[in-house]
Amino acid sequence: MKSIVLSSVVTALLVFSGCSSKEVAVDTESNKAPVEEVVAQEVEIVETETVAVENSMVEATSNALSMTDIEAELSAVYFAFDKFDLDSDMQAKISTAAEIGKTGASNYNVKLEGNCDEWGSDEYNFALGLKRSNAVKQALVAEGIDGSRISMVSYGESNPVCSDKTQECWSKNRRVDFKLLP
Amino acid sequence: MKIIFSLLLIFGLTFANDATIEVIKKVDALPSIAVEDSSISYDDTFKLQFFKSLIADLNVISLFNVDRFHRVTHYNDTDVMVENKDMNYVLRYKMFEDDNGALNVDMKILHDSSEVFSKSYKVSRQNIYMFVSHAMAYDINEYMGEPSVEWMKRKVIFSRIVGPKKSEIVISDYSLSYQHVIVKGGFNVFPKWANNDQNAFYYTSLDDLKPTLKHVDIKTVKVTNIMSSDGMMICSDVSRNGKTLLLTMANNGQPDIYTYNVDTKKYKRETVYGGIDVNAQFMDKNRIIFISSRLGYPNVFSKRLDTKEVEQMVYYGRSNSACSSNGEYIVYKARETSNAFDKNTFNLHLISMKTDFIRRLTATGINEFPRFSRDGDAILFIKNYKSQSSIGIIRLNHNKNYLFPLKYGKVQSMDW
Repeated sequence: MKSIVLSSVVTALLVFSGCSSKEVAVDTESNKAPVEEVVAQEVEIVETETVAVENSMVEATSNALSMTDIEAELSAVYFAFDKFDLDSDMQAKISTAAEIGKTGASNYNVKLEGNCDEWGSDEYNFALGLKRSNAVKQALVAEGIDGSRISMVSYGESNPVCSDKTQECWSKNRRVDFKLLP
Repeated sequence: MKIIFSLLLIFGLTFANDATIEVIKKVDALPSIAVEDSSISYDDTFKLQFFKSLIADLNVISLFNVDRFHRVTHYNDTDVMVENKDMNYVLRYKMFEDDNGALNVDMKILHDSSEVFSKSYKVSRQNIYMFVSHAMAYDINEYMGEPSVEWMKRKVIFSRIVGPKKSEIVISDYSLSYQHVIVKGGFNVFPKWANNDQNAFYYTSLDDLKPTLKHVDIKTVKVTNIMSSDGMMICSDVSRNGKTLLLTMANNGQPDIYTYNVDTKKYKRETVYGGIDVNAQFMDKNRIIFISSRLGYPNVFSKRLDTKEVEQMVYYGRSNSACSSNGEYIVYKARETSNAFDKNTFNLHLISMKTDFIRRLTATGINEFPRFSRDGDAILFIKNYKSQSSIGIIRLNHNKNYLFPLKYGKVQSMDW
């Protein structure tokens, strides 16, 4: 009896240890994609910096703005606690964003990133972030932007711009960011 | 007289096993146990580490008043140590390293000066010692004839936020002593075991243009993309046989619940409400419980998969945004305060579908992500309190909560 118990424990743990050695390989697999993306982003930043310098030198001849410059003009849309409807201030922001979308950013697609404050990591909070993105999308479409240019994602509470435990901080995190895509 | 007696008996039988009723004072009745260490290999630091892990496990099974003193004796001594002679039980164990470097543990239980139970354990590596101590506690619980604590031997998978848009997926034991980062880099959330054997799991990757559900087979190290959806894509639950998934997807920005057949790769929309429907869990093969905003605030509802009827399950609280069910019981997360300008408290509550009782299970901080063990004996949950993130276990029938803090980062979601 004792030997049966012993061997079953050994077998179970051999299986377990076998898994863990392979698990390391999963790490390498999953590392590949994010690493590549980080590299891509870095290249992008370098390019825009160069363009910015060149722009300042040849100001009179070129009005073309880079994607990052345009993105900087698209300020985040903020929401009230536990809400996903837009107030008039935010509606005005979206009208500005729609105007940019029709002019300077007309060649780009946009990704709307919905975010929440820190009160909860459950699916409901993610859905709230998404509903915020969708409210902004509907407002952009109403302003004449083609819906097929807009994609959405929710990051729940996992992408805070501010991590202090203050009211100002929480309200900064309840937002939708605009990200331009080529 | 007989009538009164039989009424009392019926009342007693009805409420005897109701987990919504708190057991307030049971401590005095618990037998005492002391632990004696007879290890021959390993240094003092490791000996103490193992001893502490075993003491913690014995506490979690909630059957004994556990003596905390680390005492050393010979394994083959027939008598218990003088200091322990008044104890009801003495657990004596011996750790030794064999020629292959494996950790071996012999264990016996002494009761009234005679050996009543013994067992041997072996693991290939010293650093996974906690699984031996969990197995020992599990076997002692079995020997004492208590309901199984099978969950103690199961692995926990969780995602840990380590920075904005950065997370890790970690496999650990229930006490978080063993931790192995299995997916590193990128932004990956909502891991979920794919089957009962825990050799594969699903998770959501937020690094692609659209949120994508991925499947990882741990044995073959194969990562497969299952499906993408604009806005949201989460695997909320997996059926017992692993063949059906409950997903939250958001085609056209509308979060709804879908079932997905693993074999045919076809999905079906289960809810059509225009607000938020999320967090579906199987109650049984044909019935789900989920969170919906159809009353204007998040609350717990259920639905049969073969009809369109939706039933409200919880009638208390103004914001109940997460739930889990087992048999007649539902545990849900309720917001206790509704304050946009100050800290908020979220507690877990337990209700029975057969009675009107509500039992509050937690007291402070943000308590969320409740998950019943398969046997309904315990609830695993996430607790965030004063910048400290922990995984907690509630032993329902013993009225005890245990917290296992995370060294760094914040737990986003988990499964076990």
